[in-house]
Amino acid sequence: MHENRSTPARVWLFAALALAAAVIVIIGPALFDRFTLNVLTRSMIYAMLAVTVDILWGYTGILTFGQAAFFGTGAYASAMVLSHLGASPALMVLALALAIIVPVLLGAFVGWLSFGHGSTPLYATVISLVVPIVVTQLVFSGGVWTGSSSGLVGYSGLPLGLPGYFRLTGICLIVTAVVALVFTRSDAGKLLVAIRDNEARCAYLGLDPQRLKIVLTTILAGVAGIAGFLYANASGVVAPENTGFVFGTEIVIWTALGGRGTIIGPVIGAIGIDYLSAQLSGDLPFLWNLVVGALFVVMIILLPNGLAQLARMVLPRGNEQASPSGSPTLAAEPAGSGSEAGNRVLAVGGLGKSFGSLQVLQGIDLDVHPGELVSLVGPNGAGKTTLMRCLSDGTEATTGTVTIAGQDISGMTPDEIVALGVGRKFQVASVFDSLTVADCLRMARASRNAPSLLRRSATLGLPAAAADILRSTGLDRMLGRPVSLLSHGQKQSLELAMVVALEPKLILLDEPTAGLTKVERTTIGATLQKLTGELGFAAILVEHDLDFVRDISTRIVVLHQGKLVLDGSVDQVVNSEVVRTIYSGGAHA
Amino acid sequence: MTLLLDMVTTAAILFIVAAGLLAIFGVLKIINFAHGAWLTIGAYCAVATAGLGLNPWLALPIAFAVGAILGGITELVIVRPLYRRPLDAILATWGLGIVIGQLITLWFGRDVQFTPNLLSGTVDVFGVGYSLYRLFAVAAALVIGLAFTFLLEGTRLGLSAQAVIMNEMLARALGIDTARVRLATFMVGTGLAALAGVLLTPLTSVDPNMGVAWLIGSFMLVMVAGSSFSTLAIACLVFGGAQVLVSTFVSPIFGGITVAVLCALVLRISPKGFARA
Repeated sequence: MHENRSTPARVWLFAALALAAAVIVIIGPALFDRFTLNVLTRSMIYAMLAVTVDILWGYTGILTFGQAAFFGTGAYASAMVLSHLGASPALMVLALALAIIVPVLLGAFVGWLSFGHGSTPLYATVISLVVPIVVTQLVFSGGVWTGSSSGLVGYSGLPLGLPGYFRLTGICLIVTAVVALVFTRSDAGKLLVAIRDNEARCAYLGLDPQRLKIVLTTILAGVAGIAGFLYANASGVVAPENTGFVFGTEIVIWTALGGRGTIIGPVIGAIGIDYLSAQLSGDLPFLWNLVVGALFVVMIILLPNGLAQLARMVLPRGNEQASPSGSPTLAAEPAGSGSEAGNRVLAVGGLGKSFGSLQVLQGIDLDVHPGELVSLVGPNGAGKTTLMRCLSDGTEATTGTVTIAGQDISGMTPDEIVALGVGRKFQVASVFDSLTVADCLRMARASRNAPSLLRRSATLGLPAAAADILRSTGLDRMLGRPVSLLSHGQKQSLELAMVVALEPKLILLDEPTAGLTKVERTTIGATLQKLTGELGFAAILVEHDLDFVRDISTRIVVLHQGKLVLDGSVDQVVNSEVVRTIYSGGAHA
Repeated sequence: MTLLLDMVTTAAILFIVAAGLLAIFGVLKIINFAHGAWLTIGAYCAVATAGLGLNPWLALPIAFAVGAILGGITELVIVRPLYRRPLDAILATWGLGIVIGQLITLWFGRDVQFTPNLLSGTVDVFGVGYSLYRLFAVAAALVIGLAFTFLLEGTRLGLSAQAVIMNEMLARALGIDTARVRLATFMVGTGLAALAGVLLTPLTSVDPNMGVAWLIGSFMLVMVAGSSFSTLAIACLVFGGAQVLVSTFVSPIFGGITVAVLCALVLRISPKGFARA
């Protein structure tokens, strides 16, 4: 969440923490009594689950109760192998393999179910409630196979003994946490935050957020399955409660109390609360749950980012603002092959769009060639934005064809159309508010240069055209700055730079100058002229300001009541009768 | 015949239980995960009424009042700051549910409680003896449904609530005090939930965690129903009927998850559930 820049000092701090944790884990059995060891072993397994919930919920924004189901499936898969088949080394390997494979398959299915086309965030949460309930009922109806309501008990697990299990789970937890920390701080990890912030923008940067979420769900189901395997071995008993949705909510509570989006917070939250529960529940069983519940409610309302947020407020730490070492430097990226002049980039034939009986667009024919800057004008409600949508989402148009770079886009999703070479700039600046300027731009390159899963790059490779926009708007000196601190105009410029960084053949711009100052407007205008005139991009611009349009366009298209009424050079259109009539009384005509 | 009656009465009970949740979700777009706790509160109101030696029917108005008052406090303190964070609202209300469950446990103990039957005995329906109380549940569901229709269509609060459902910004611009509409809606919803808790007492055992079992079913039905009571009625009939059929012919264990699974599938195919039209 909060941009923890991987300054060397920070890396060392994490390394030291991990090392200290490892030391505690190794010497722990000499320090703690049996009861504590037992409880802490269980708490550390739960902490692994909290890490997976944190990645899904804290980073990616998917509130899930379903990790309990994957954990339970893994635990049951292991326990069933161990009790019904035996615990020879080969069977132990089988148990582990099944504890991973079964949850992974289930996870892939659940992911597919949760994140199909058109599903809402709430729907994923709904599914994550249903899955644990179904798994629990399956366990209940499993008869001798699953031990039904009494669970499975009395099988032999790994021959490790209490200290051994403590060390094993400790090491597994540290590995999980370190991998999670490295991943969430890497370039690829920023993708998760980008999805949470603005999923539509991800799709229009050529990324496939649905697929990413399915992959993430699948992998984390496997991690939960490993935790289940550890649990089945270490505790020697699995019960239906281990799979249930109430357990799923507990994991979320630990994550929330510890501090979502920090990895370490949820680990501490899970261990702390589970350990204290075990210690205190003997003396004051209901009071303790009452306190945890009340704390949780207060925390969600007042401190949504948990104890970690409190720690951050109390402990002054290195400035979160752009530190010189944290902001990457610009690097030139070789320009991709430019589009060949002469060929049509865009061909629209007989395009129509209706909402029920309301005909918003009809019979639109339009060709755009490389190097052209076509302005789309018309009064409010003429269908300009609808037309833009039809050009960038293949499922929008009702009739007619849209061909981009020779390919019919009907039925294609936005990210597939981006791959054909279309970049879309939205009317309201659509960027990622939790990321820095550099991270936003890196997202725009992510579909071309797969981002690193391990590192945070020190450089930011951008095509020259995008880098030029940054320089002319001064954004190149703010690469490390969080987007939330940018002005409205800077956000608009950033989004334009992101779209240009996609190296599209065709740029669609919906009122890029709305709400900008005169100076900012001139800068954007000059940029657009350079992009089209010198670099051979094609652009379609929706704009209200006719003076601005007259200055920069090579061609103007007039849309009126869903029909294309005029398509001609700047002079033809500006001096035409039609435009005067449409805009009659308007200030511009 | 018994099967058919089972299907209808099950649907009626589901409707009664889900109505309070729907009232809140429909207007506020907030999922009250403490809904189960309010069912429990209602059931314990019945226990307390019986403990005081009062007429068991008095539990209904008492529960509604208690539920509504506690709901009002909840709206002001917990839900109000979270309208912009609907997922957090789920969590906060779930946490509240834990708190309420523990308070009830501290007060009444964790043991199962028994309440006097509101209506006992059977009645002949087309030659089959059938539980009078289950038939009464159908009547209660109809009353609740009709009362709600009246509340929405015939009163000022209802009209304001509809305006808030359709376009909250516009409603506010027109001078509707949306904060008050929300408070009132939340109170009605929680009052209804407590009322449903009383109505459940003859059918299930009363213990501090009884609400959780009902929460998910109602939640899923409300997801499918959207914001309309008539679609909720349809959803209850379809899925409640399916639940009875699965319980009877396949296995009672699978019957318990029928509603949740079917609702999830329906939402997958049509994200707006039954509320398309």
